[in-house]
Amino acid sequence: MITIDGSMGEGGGQVIRSAVALSLVTGTPVRLQNIRAGRSKPGVLRQHHTALAAAATISNGTLDGGAVGDTSAEFSPGRVVPGDYEFAVGSAGSTTLVFQTILPALLLVDRVSTITLSGGTHNPWAPPVDYLAQVFAPLLERMGGRIEIETERYGFAPAGGGQWRATVHPLRSWKELQLHERGDVHTRRATILIANLPGGRAVAERERRVLVRRLNWRECDVTVQDVPNSAGPGNVILCTVESDSVTEMGVAFGQLGVRAESVARAAANQVRAYLTHDAPVGEHLADQLMLPLTLAGKGSFVTGRLSRHATTNRDVLAMFDVAPLRIESYGARTQRVFVG
Amino acid sequence: MPNVAIGFLGTTLDRGAGAERWTRWRPTVALCQQDDLVIDRLELLVSPRAQTLADAIVEDIALISPETKVRIWPFEVPDMWDFEAMYSALHDWARAYPFQPEVEDYLVHITTGTHVAQIVSFLLTETRHLPGKLIQTSPTKRVRDAAPGRYDIIDLDLDRYDKIAQRFAREHQEGESLLKSGIATRNAAFNHLIEQLERVALRTRDPILLTGPTGAGKSQLAQRIYDLKSKRRQVTGEFVELNCATLHGTSAMSALFGHVKGAFTGATTDRRGLLRAADGGVLFLDEIGELGLDEQAMLLRALEEKRFLPFGSDREVTSRFQLFAGTHKDLVDEVAAGRFREDLLARINLWTFRLPGLKDRTEDIAPNFEYEVERAAERTGERVTFNRAARERFLEFATSPQAEWRANFRDLNAAVVRMATLCRGGRVVRTDVEEEIARLERNWSCAPTESDVEQTLAEVMGARFRDLDRFDAVQLAEVMAVCRASQTLADAGRRLFAVSRTKKRITNDSDRLRKYLLKFDLTWDQITRSAATRP
Repeated sequence: MITIDGSMGEGGGQVIRSAVALSLVTGTPVRLQNIRAGRSKPGVLRQHHTALAAAATISNGTLDGGAVGDTSAEFSPGRVVPGDYEFAVGSAGSTTLVFQTILPALLLVDRVSTITLSGGTHNPWAPPVDYLAQVFAPLLERMGGRIEIETERYGFAPAGGGQWRATVHPLRSWKELQLHERGDVHTRRATILIANLPGGRAVAERERRVLVRRLNWRECDVTVQDVPNSAGPGNVILCTVESDSVTEMGVAFGQLGVRAESVARAAANQVRAYLTHDAPVGEHLADQLMLPLTLAGKGSFVTGRLSRHATTNRDVLAMFDVAPLRIESYGARTQRVFVG
Repeated sequence: MPNVAIGFLGTTLDRGAGAERWTRWRPTVALCQQDDLVIDRLELLVSPRAQTLADAIVEDIALISPETKVRIWPFEVPDMWDFEAMYSALHDWARAYPFQPEVEDYLVHITTGTHVAQIVSFLLTETRHLPGKLIQTSPTKRVRDAAPGRYDIIDLDLDRYDKIAQRFAREHQEGESLLKSGIATRNAAFNHLIEQLERVALRTRDPILLTGPTGAGKSQLAQRIYDLKSKRRQVTGEFVELNCATLHGTSAMSALFGHVKGAFTGATTDRRGLLRAADGGVLFLDEIGELGLDEQAMLLRALEEKRFLPFGSDREVTSRFQLFAGTHKDLVDEVAAGRFREDLLARINLWTFRLPGLKDRTEDIAPNFEYEVERAAERTGERVTFNRAARERFLEFATSPQAEWRANFRDLNAAVVRMATLCRGGRVVRTDVEEEIARLERNWSCAPTESDVEQTLAEVMGARFRDLDRFDAVQLAEVMAVCRASQTLADAGRRLFAVSRTKKRITNDSDRLRKYLLKFDLTWDQITRSAATRP
């Protein structure tokens, strides 16, 4: 039994997800305390509860506590069983975060699983499903894991109601990821998604103007896409930068009361921040890659300065009996994360 | 435990069309859309006219909160703003609903529905007909968070709120302090009694019975309970006090229940009576055991029906008073002896508080002594001080087993008054105390207490009793007490001469008693009818 203080580091939901993911993989029970102590609404939210319950479901494990509002939970995993599962997150909570909790365990079994998730697909503070498909999945594949993602319906917060399916193939053996140089950027494109938005075209045009100006991209690099299959209204900007070694993505969400220009500026700023250094891995991707890297037990990647989120994540991983992640400076403004 | 929300469909607030509806705050949907609260079941009260809206809301909730099961309850009130109709309808609903508070938590959503519906929801939650907490949803101020907004749960169990609980504790303390006349009493039993009395007094309109030995402070306490109720705006009428030992015959009836002009000889005007004087207030009947059986029957009816007939009247009058009763007798014994109605006892014996005598509260003698000293100073208008030796000596005696305190606080009060009056220059010294101790011991060495003797004599003879020698006074008082407890003169004689009569061949108890009374210009009738001469 490993006891994890949820108030450690930035004290958010990532602590729960990483702990439960590793608990599933290592078969080690975990006791979580002070869950999300650092947040304005402390305790388990609906998406965290779904993640905990999903972990219990796929492993026939037991969950004690961990109900919505609880500040502690005890999770004991059983044996992970591949198969077809469906999980729903109420209140348009992020389905991608639920998926990430159970993904590593499902990679390490001997049969294919399909996971159907419903709820939010595009939530602030969470990677959108496009990011999983376009950025994370290709890198995972380079590490030996294969997932396929199919989006059936978009679910923008706050309405949610999205649905997507992930097929997780068994990972035969981990491959070593070496991601040190970005190489040349050869493709830049931005996709502006709009759904059920009155005057959505105009909003998208205003966003396009700002993107083009601030990123110095061409008009044709920015495409506007109407999302027909969405319950509620939504607006998301996805800025993709493809280089020789990696595809990265900056994301910004339109929200009521936030001007279109501000949304576009936020998206552009993420891209600019990524391009200020030569590291191939951006801030959020670094966070995503840590768990697979530690499970692989080999490999390394280079990123900018690690966020507090990322270092908290590393601290949680270090509590389990897995290959420890190490961090070293790599150039002036970049760091290397590696195992070994 | 699963959360079950109960609420009205908001025919205005919950409305919304097109995808845009998701950006609008719709309370019923928002209730199920909170990221830190799961509503497992929603009992949605819907006017049949709003069925279409209800269906749309059910669909939206299914999307946003797959865990929530929604049940639609057709809820028809012709006018949703009619308080009485609304209350009845929701009350009926609540009574029919199979609440299981042991296995489910209930949240009453008060954001939707007419204001009347909200008020009724609140009232039924407060009375626990809806056994849950209130939940209120609201949009956040910043427009970007229009939906789903926020929510607040309001638990009407006020004890759960520290600051409110402190406030109540303070109020209780004030109430208790008032009941204790601000005296910091230390006797645990007494303090417990006051604590209970404070709670009961403020919650009941039923009779309160104060028992305990004479001088234990029943009358003062009754007055203070009234003061407390008055301070908390629970009474609108007066505090009316009467010692039942001073009543007898028709004057008893008319004093209590009033009379009409011409009801009996001498009734030249209408009299309202004390029951009506206490309308909206408190009637304190001290020594209720002394009340005649006829008056007891009338009183019982007045208590139960709030109505009674004034003497000589054929029109009933009403009075809503709270009865406080005092007695030093054991009313159960009085019932057994046929002197007190069992049904009346049952009616007034609901809240009974037995005041301990001073001897059982030795730890309270010191604070009460200080209180009496202050009162004596107030009364005489002069400062009275005890020097240290005097104070210590008096308290040493007062708390010793030698101090009998037969008349309890009445004795203590008298002792302090005497010392304050007899001392020189407002300073009580050791010798004043020694003299007082001697006086107290002398008083207590006689069987009946001085005040009991005085009271009995005064009732029958008025001020005339002061001309009696102490020697005669004690004897006469005892004789009077026996007479009053007897049916006839012969009966009283048999009791009074119970020993000597066995040695006589011819008994003449009645004659002996009559002659004895005659020595004091008294007759059997005078004694047994008691005296209304006492003010």
